[in-house]
Order: sequence, then C-alpha cells, then structure tokens
Amino acid sequence: MARNKSILTESRQIERAVVLINLGARLQVLESETDMSYERLLRLYKEVAGKSPSKGQLPFSTDWFMTWQPNIHASLYLNIHEYLNKATALDEIDVVIKAYQLYLEQIQAQGLEPLLSVTRAWRLVKFVDNGMLTMTACSSCRGHFVTHPHEIAKHYVCGLCNPPARAGKGKAAGTLQMRSDADALSH
Amino acid sequence: MNTEQILAEIREANLSYLMLAQSLIRSDREQALYRLGICEDTANTIGALTPAQTMKVAQSSTLLCRFRMDDELVWNLITSHGKNAANESVGRLHAAILLAGRHQEAA
Repeated sequence: MARNKSILTESRQIERAVVLINLGARLQVLESETDMSYERLLRLYKEVAGKSPSKGQLPFSTDWFMTWQPNIHASLYLNIHEYLNKATALDEIDVVIKAYQLYLEQIQAQGLEPLLSVTRAWRLVKFVDNGMLTMTACSSCRGHFVTHPHEIAKHYVCGLCNPPARAGKGKAAGTLQMRSDADALSH
Repeated sequence: MNTEQILAEIREANLSYLMLAQSLIRSDREQALYRLGICEDTANTIGALTPAQTMKVAQSSTLLCRFRMDDELVWNLITSHGKNAANESVGRLHAAILLAGRHQEAA
C-alpha cells in the first residue's frame, strides 16, 4: 500500500494511535488500523505507554465471547457499536474507539471490571464483519446478544434471562454476582 | 405547587437539558447521539441554538425531553423490582444492553 504523505492525515493517524494505546490496544491493532510503519508505531507506543508493547499472538478464538460473563460485556459493547454505526457516519476504527469509551463508562459506573479489552472489542467487530459471530435477539427480552451465526432465533434465550447454573457465583471483585434468595439467606 | 411554580420548574428542567445537550454535542457529537438518544438532525439543531433561542425554546409549558424506556421490562430491571439487591448490577447491565439496542430513534 502506498504510504499517504499528507501531514494532516498522518497527524490524525497519530492521534488515533495515541487514543488506542491509552485504551490499552495491542500493537497489532495499530498496525492494522494506521498506515504508520512498525518502527514508528513501536516508538510511539513506548512514548505513550512508557513500556514496550506485550508480545505474542492476539486472542483468535470466538469461544471466549460465548462464555457467560464475557458474552454480556461483548453484547453491551456491540450494541453500543451498532448504535453509533447506525446513528453516525464515522470511520470504522473511530466507531470502535468511541463505542469502547462508552462501554468503559457504563461498566465503571457500575463498579465492574471491564472484561472486554479494546483489542478484544476490535476483534469482535472483525469477527462480526466476516460472519464468524453475529447478534441474535433473545426470544424472552428481545435484547440483542453476541452469538455464533445460525443460532436458531426462535429458541434463543440470552444468558441474562436464563443464566447457567454456576453463573455469577464467583467471588472476585468487579465481576457480576448473581445470588438466589437461598444464597442470600445462608450468607 | 401552583401553576407558576410548575412552569418555572419545567423551564428550569428544559434549560438544564438543553445546556447539557449542547455541551455534550459540542464535546463529542457522536457519543452525544448515543447518550441523548436523538438523531443527527436534532443534534445539529440543538447544537446551533444561540443562547437567546435556547431560552425561548426552554420557555414551554411541557418538557422537551422524554423517557427512553417505555416498557415494564426495562423498568423492572433498573429498579430491580421483585428481585433481591445482589442482582441489581446484573439488572442494570441487562437494561443497558436493551437500551443500547434501540437505535431506531437515532437512525
């Protein structure tokens, strides 16, 4: 790809890259979403984050998005993403960034840990773009949730309407807690 | 509350709403559309109001903003009606997912 020589374009790309680095994005995201060279991105990363980027492969599996708690986070993010996508005319990566900021706000306002990293959010959008994941409406609450494609919509019930037996029983701080009345009494 | 007080309170609320909307729209237009649940055209109009116009628009006997959830399901989730408080966080998250999925008003 021919490198864009426009200084304005470059300045916008650096700005975007800085926002992404501050949100904790992996270097691969920056490489894919800007025309900047690997060396420049590496330098920028160290300058902004004050440390070297983490190495190794990106998480590549769609399975993570299917487990109970990550699915709730991913679904919240993707709904916000779709909202911005429909309501605005932003570049794809800017939708990813702005939706992620709104997701973070919502999660942090509830005192929860943001389980979905910006890198995962970006991957999620890619997975949806190439049809490896999609959203299906829950037959009970009508909310849209991240699912594998070809989920049978008529019978689909989301993890919030019908939580799995062990869901929300973990004690870690910042995770979702679900207690039945029986649990509440015994504590 | 007498009529005069009611009108004054509505004007106050309208004015606060418009001023908040304007500062949201001016600081980040796209995120403001999500937060306010309004379409781009409305955002442009509100964003372009002069202070004098804003005062005039606020001067109304009815409220300018309305509830974004009009169904029992979302209400019950937010108020955790009929559930114990430990599940409140789950309910709020559920409500957030349902509300974020309603982009027809903004499209």
